[in-house]
Amino acid sequence: MRVIEKHRNILDFTLSSLARRKGKNLSLVFVYTFVVFLIASVTFFTHSLKTEAEVILRDAPEMMVQRLVAGRHDLIPMSYMDTIRQIRGVQSVTSRLWGYYFDPTNGANYTLLVKPEEHSTSGTILVGRGVARSVRSKQTGTIPFKTYDGSYLFLRIKEVFTAESELANADLILISEADFKRLFAYPDGYATDLVLHVRNANELPTIATKITHLLPDTRPILREEIVRTYDAVFSWRGGLVIVVLLGVVLAFFILAWEKATGLSAEERREIGILKGLGWETTDVLFMKFWEGAVISLSAFFLGILCAYGHVFFTSSMLFEPALKGWSVIYPDFRLTPVISAYQISTLFFLTVLPYTVATIVPAWRAATVDPDTVMRA
Amino acid sequence: MPSRMSTRFVIFLVTCVALVWGMLLHAHMSRSSTGHALQERREVIRRFQLSDLCLFTDARYIRHPVAADLHTPFQDYPLSMEHFPSGSLMPVPPHLRRGGGE
Amino acid sequence: MIEIKDVRKVFNWGRPNEFVAIDGVNLCLHSQSVTVLKGPSGSGKTTLLTLIACMARPTSGRITLMDREITSLPERFLTEIRRRTFGFMFQQFNLIKGLTALENVMLPAYPAGEKHAVLEKRAGELLGLFNLSEKSRAKVEWLSGGEAQRVAIARALINNPSIIIADEPTAHLDTKLSREFMEILLSLARDGKTILIASHDPIVYESDMVERVVEMRDGKIVGE
Repeated sequence: MRVIEKHRNILDFTLSSLARRKGKNLSLVFVYTFVVFLIASVTFFTHSLKTEAEVILRDAPEMMVQRLVAGRHDLIPMSYMDTIRQIRGVQSVTSRLWGYYFDPTNGANYTLLVKPEEHSTSGTILVGRGVARSVRSKQTGTIPFKTYDGSYLFLRIKEVFTAESELANADLILISEADFKRLFAYPDGYATDLVLHVRNANELPTIATKITHLLPDTRPILREEIVRTYDAVFSWRGGLVIVVLLGVVLAFFILAWEKATGLSAEERREIGILKGLGWETTDVLFMKFWEGAVISLSAFFLGILCAYGHVFFTSSMLFEPALKGWSVIYPDFRLTPVISAYQISTLFFLTVLPYTVATIVPAWRAATVDPDTVMRA
Repeated sequence: MPSRMSTRFVIFLVTCVALVWGMLLHAHMSRSSTGHALQERREVIRRFQLSDLCLFTDARYIRHPVAADLHTPFQDYPLSMEHFPSGSLMPVPPHLRRGGGE
Repeated sequence: MIEIKDVRKVFNWGRPNEFVAIDGVNLCLHSQSVTVLKGPSGSGKTTLLTLIACMARPTSGRITLMDREITSLPERFLTEIRRRTFGFMFQQFNLIKGLTALENVMLPAYPAGEKHAVLEKRAGELLGLFNLSEKSRAKVEWLSGGEAQRVAIARALINNPSIIIADEPTAHLDTKLSREFMEILLSLARDGKTILIASHDPIVYESDMVERVVEMRDGKIVGE
């Protein structure tokens, strides 16, 4: 009880002394909160996105096979399918027909996909929300497509995909095979790439090796690689994170520097008075500890709470310009919140701890002054 | 409002901790309530045989990073400056960095 | 009772700027007495006070406080003794700006971990004793010189010390306030406190209440 009461007393003193420089300390907390907010927003956002990708890409194709010509992705002959089908362990091989289309009227890029089982009616298309938004069409409408020879192909929107699936298909246009081939003069007997299903997932690497052996101009991509790609989204090397963290680190440096050198003559004198009045060195250090803790804890909590609201309630409003870049079609990020105690504690150790230490350390020397300095002054 | 400053601060801290708990709880609950949306996204990926998320649409190598070949992320030349802003956000897929694209 | 035996205090020992502040002092101070250390500035009065009050250790010699040798105690114990036994009044009051009078008075008792309400009540009573009740919630920088002086006295008394130490307490006070201050000290002496003052102000050392005047010069006692 005595210990608690003692710390509450010291905390009282610390708070009163922080309240004296209200403007300075509040702006410190504000800047610090913003820093925590940025780090936490990036963490929450990337973590949720990664988790999301991991879950939904579990159903991605087990293996894709591309053909490369002169280092570039090229159309793959359908005849390759027979060669691959011969390999033991391959359950099925299907061809994918897809490509990109740039719509000059609104400057958007679409992904065009042919999937006969899903949609085969010529003259109509199924579109993602992002496409519908870009052509400002709620339900139906017609999009003019400029074909390879300059003529126009008018395709009617038959259906818009659900909002829930936007993260997967915002820019997708499901088009019939006939329309796709007319649009691009796509040669018969070729596909964009091939998709494989195997009997036993353990055999994937062996099958991949066999494919590259039999068809040296192809490149197999395994699902494991797909998942790994998305695990690396916005990694520490990623630009967004670097830009944010560079600012954070700089800001923190300035704060820490300010603290380290900022033990003013006034503060030193006060420490001297406290020592003279019978405070022990440890009491003074506790006082400094609380000073750092009050500021960093406040900033930490306010920061992560704001970040949560920002990422999951406002769909990362502040990141939108950065994420959008030059994209005209942009999915409405409605991420499922994924946060863990581990994440929170990592943030805690990254933000609260260094600041608190940076507050105590410079006070160390001042706290060990002899109590008689107050008399000598 | 209690007059003692430490009491006020402790109340503030307790409120914050409670809010953080609420946050974790909210995250947990919305995960279970948005399960069907997640299921739907999975279904779309499976049915359309998609390999990528639609995060960026400004360049093809960033729209389908998995399907990109070694040269596209660098605009056909490994030392060229990144042209699309989103390209600088996402790193080159690991299987390409590992000297892939063979 | 405080006993000082052959005490020497040397600053910057062994260095070119070595300076002997106290040079072989022997002194015996009785409980419940009022003593003034008199002498010009630089005569070692303040240093002797810091040694007696456990704020610094002598270079050599012994100091005994209530039959307890204190020169060899570790810092923790010294702080403890200092907090319980001594009340301090510094030359420039040394109140902490930005805090209220009440908070300043409570300050020396904070590390003891006493119940806050009890401590606050005691501090309030002390301020009441010096007619400062209305000013207890006022920040110390808004107080007049006399009020600040009385807050400093109240602060010295918060831990109910048996010995009160004052270093040049009247240095920043006018004659009227100095006399008022001596009145307060007199009442404290009547309550049975031991009082030790370092001063070269005649108002202090010529006061009727002072039982003993010790004169110092160049770190030595030169007369009584």
